[in-house]
Amino acid sequence: MLRSKRTEILAASMLMAPFAVTYGVLFIYPTIKMAQLSMTNAPLIGPGKWVGFDNYFRLASDRLFSVAIWNTLYFVILSVIPSTLIGLLVALGVNRLKGWLQSVVLAAFFLPYVLPVSVVFRIWQWMCDKDFGIAQHVIQLFNDGQRLSIFRTIPLFMPAVAVVTIWWLIGFNVLLFIAGLRNISSEIYEAAQLDGAGRWTQFRRITWPLIWPVTVLVFTIQMILQLKIFDQVYLFSQGGRIDTTIVMVQYILKQAFQMNKGGLAAAASMVLFVLIAALSVLQFQLLRARGER
Amino acid sequence: MSASVETGADVFASRRAGRLVRLRHLDLVGLVITAATVVGAALWAFPLYWALVTTFKPENEVVRPAVQLWPEHFTFQNYVHVLLETKIGIWYVNSLVTSAAVTVLVIVTAAGAGYAISQLNFPGRRLFWWMILASFMVPIPALTVNHFILINQFGLINTLPGVVLPQLLAPVTVIIYKQFFDSVPKDFREAAMIDGANEFQLLFRIYLPMNWGITTALAIITFIAAWNLFLWPFVAVNSEDRMNITVGITQVHDAFGVQYARDLAVAMVAALPVALVYLIFQRRVTQAIMLSAGIKG
Amino acid sequence: MIRKVLFATLASMALTISAARAEDTIVWWDFLSGGDGVRMKTMLDEFNKEHAGKVKIDATTLEWGVPFYTKVQTAAATGQGPDIMTYHESRMPLGVSEGVVSPLTPEELSAAGIKPSDFSPANWKAAQGPDGKQYGVPLDIHSIILYYNKDLLKKAGLLGDDGKPKGLDGAANFDSALAKLTANGVVGLSTPTADNATMWRIFYTLLNQQDGQFLKDGKFLDGDNLDKATTAIAEMQKWVKSGGTPAKTEYPASIALFTSGKAAMHINGVWEVPTMVDLAKKGQLFDWGAIQIPTFYAHPATWADSHSFAIPNRQGNPVDPAKRKLVLDAIHWFNEHSLEWAGGGHVPAYLPVQESAAFKALKPNSDYASLAKTAVFDPVSVLAGVASPVYDAAGNYVMPAMNGEMAPADAAKQMRDDLQGQAK
Repeated sequence: MLRSKRTEILAASMLMAPFAVTYGVLFIYPTIKMAQLSMTNAPLIGPGKWVGFDNYFRLASDRLFSVAIWNTLYFVILSVIPSTLIGLLVALGVNRLKGWLQSVVLAAFFLPYVLPVSVVFRIWQWMCDKDFGIAQHVIQLFNDGQRLSIFRTIPLFMPAVAVVTIWWLIGFNVLLFIAGLRNISSEIYEAAQLDGAGRWTQFRRITWPLIWPVTVLVFTIQMILQLKIFDQVYLFSQGGRIDTTIVMVQYILKQAFQMNKGGLAAAASMVLFVLIAALSVLQFQLLRARGER
Repeated sequence: MSASVETGADVFASRRAGRLVRLRHLDLVGLVITAATVVGAALWAFPLYWALVTTFKPENEVVRPAVQLWPEHFTFQNYVHVLLETKIGIWYVNSLVTSAAVTVLVIVTAAGAGYAISQLNFPGRRLFWWMILASFMVPIPALTVNHFILINQFGLINTLPGVVLPQLLAPVTVIIYKQFFDSVPKDFREAAMIDGANEFQLLFRIYLPMNWGITTALAIITFIAAWNLFLWPFVAVNSEDRMNITVGITQVHDAFGVQYARDLAVAMVAALPVALVYLIFQRRVTQAIMLSAGIKG
Repeated sequence: MIRKVLFATLASMALTISAARAEDTIVWWDFLSGGDGVRMKTMLDEFNKEHAGKVKIDATTLEWGVPFYTKVQTAAATGQGPDIMTYHESRMPLGVSEGVVSPLTPEELSAAGIKPSDFSPANWKAAQGPDGKQYGVPLDIHSIILYYNKDLLKKAGLLGDDGKPKGLDGAANFDSALAKLTANGVVGLSTPTADNATMWRIFYTLLNQQDGQFLKDGKFLDGDNLDKATTAIAEMQKWVKSGGTPAKTEYPASIALFTSGKAAMHINGVWEVPTMVDLAKKGQLFDWGAIQIPTFYAHPATWADSHSFAIPNRQGNPVDPAKRKLVLDAIHWFNEHSLEWAGGGHVPAYLPVQESAAFKALKPNSDYASLAKTAVFDPVSVLAGVASPVYDAAGNYVMPAMNGEMAPADAAKQMRDDLQGQAK
């Protein structure tokens, strides 16, 4: 018995080693370094003096930092809830189709997901261009015939970026939901139909509760992803009022690369990390608790 | 709910009639839903179509006020410029090399780790599992600065290995593999152990073969993510020759004049390979990704 | 047989290697794309041809702005990076404070034939650090100018007999000119009103025309400079409010508005001159011209920046003296050949070229080259320059004010407070 335990541990070490090494070097070590760096006034590259919690106090009194936090949370609310719900709706619609029509429709929704962010940016920037974008023809219908620069109009900026993000990433949600829907046996639906249950009742009593675990999964993944938002916001706000629409990761990179304040950037990163962890645990508990009702 | 025999026929008849009525009713609603889905898909695909069409128009046609859903003068001129005047060839190669390297390395290391955590008992197993879950929540961009310093210490800035290394951090892959290995029936393992198989043989002869679907899916997802990565390659690379495609197209942007169609052409060329890969492997991707929803949080 | 082939291959390899060793390579980074990029590439090819076998410049172009300067910073700090790079003079203070640029000694400069007297004093000074050391050698002076459509201006009675605009000097006159053009159903002035860089340039021009100072003794917009800033922003806002200038226009769209004949005037950088010239050559452009920005207030002044050459300060791997000499010689060559560079709309910094007959005959450059005399360079601060907090502030305050979303006084005040706060 002792020998097999030892071989088990040996085998485990060999299998874990590659991942553990990369993990240790690329995650544990940098995270510890980041925590250390946040207590110094170091520039981007090079050493600095120990300043204790000074950086954190600076963050607390920096208006731009709180703007970044609020903008990030606002963006998450704008994008995660709709993308989860739309993903489910689309999945319900696609699930009913069959054959080549289903393939084509699914491809239409999934294709944006394989695009890199810079391509997504170019496409939407061009479509919404105030002077030559095709979307302006639609906008003019709703705006008294006036053209509108969407991404330069502050109240519209975050919702617009959220729309672009949803367009981009919906495919992943749709697929997860389709898989979840497929797992619900059709017999349940047939029995319900025989009992006279209408479409809406079927959805409310069967689909929604049974798909709940997938909904939670999708919501969680999207939330964690969008809390780390950077690319779209950065690209669409360039040249304009970047401070008004700044998000957390953007703030971190501004301090690091524009202001050359490595220590401060590290402190901001620590705050973001704690924020994400706290929110993840919180929403997980909340949604889990609801689901088990 | 069970009808007595005497009224059975009546009940059945009335139920059947009712069901037919409801079926017809469902069909109408169903048709509307199907139509809505198809229209939704068409709208969803429109931006891509519009961008593609624009790249085939000459620049002066692009800035015309009228909407032209099909080019008046179909031209390849915007693409010619992209393909001849930029270093797009090198960028493709870099993207391909780094994405392939990341994919292979992530799959190999994650499968090993996922298997170990799933099937083997070793000290620190619990702790490690929790740390992996935690790392999924860390904003990788926040580690960008530290990764930069680290990779610099290794002397790997502006090299392809330097671009690849931080991308090997893929906790999600380990998590998924662990879930899947968990769901392989224990009988296989016991039978094989009686036959004297060691852990490696178990992994390569039983567990992995039973999970080719998810491996395919993870490989494709990892490849797409690596191909599309912008932030890290942007920070880690200094020279044009080492850029990948997503960084390259923003770097050599014609900042002057009116270049709408040309910019879009560059964007299209960057996206083309991955889009093609997806369309070819579409079925596999769909099936495989659906399998991964086996994780119920 | 095989041995013969092998020997031949080895021999030719050896020859190639030794030949390659005889030719030095200068690694060059710039941020010049588009028309500028084409022109620079032509000049680089010319240099390489002239110096074939001795020196070869290996050039890489990176995206203008934040990406370029970030790359330079990270590369220099890790001992990498080029032997020579283009650098905006406006970024020099920040570059010096980051330790990214290497000082050029008077000896090595004179050895290469680079003399301070060959450049205008303001231009030469703008490439120095606070320690008075020289960190860059200017190549050009680039500024913003007023492009105009001769036909549309003539119709509104705003064109002189010499083909140049008249009646635009003085803020009130300019405003009424815009009104006249708008009455004719034409866009008076198109300019990138959604671009922070343009906002900064126009604002800085108008501020300096009032003798205002953006930064003095470490204080931003101090005293009556704040009022002058407010005046400048208010004037810009008036253009949009009166309908003379379309709001929130993106950079390429603003050019298209002008080149399609919809706008009578266009304020943009000199770097768009090639765009106009090329269109005119293809017969796709109206009769156009370009002049220095009109004098709105007390005296003429125009924002200007300068592309200069600098040698990076590579940590642990500095550019060796022999290479430095080659680099400085190359810089001198580019200065002597900067007439070609002027084809991109710039004004050559090298006075022997700037004052030459050949340049004086170059159109349209000679029409606006007068701006070099009253050019004002960006404030000397680590917060200033391309892609800096000052540029960001222009996007955060001047831009919304111009587009009517903020009161000019508020914009000026907030800009001052924001920058002063970051100066700590």
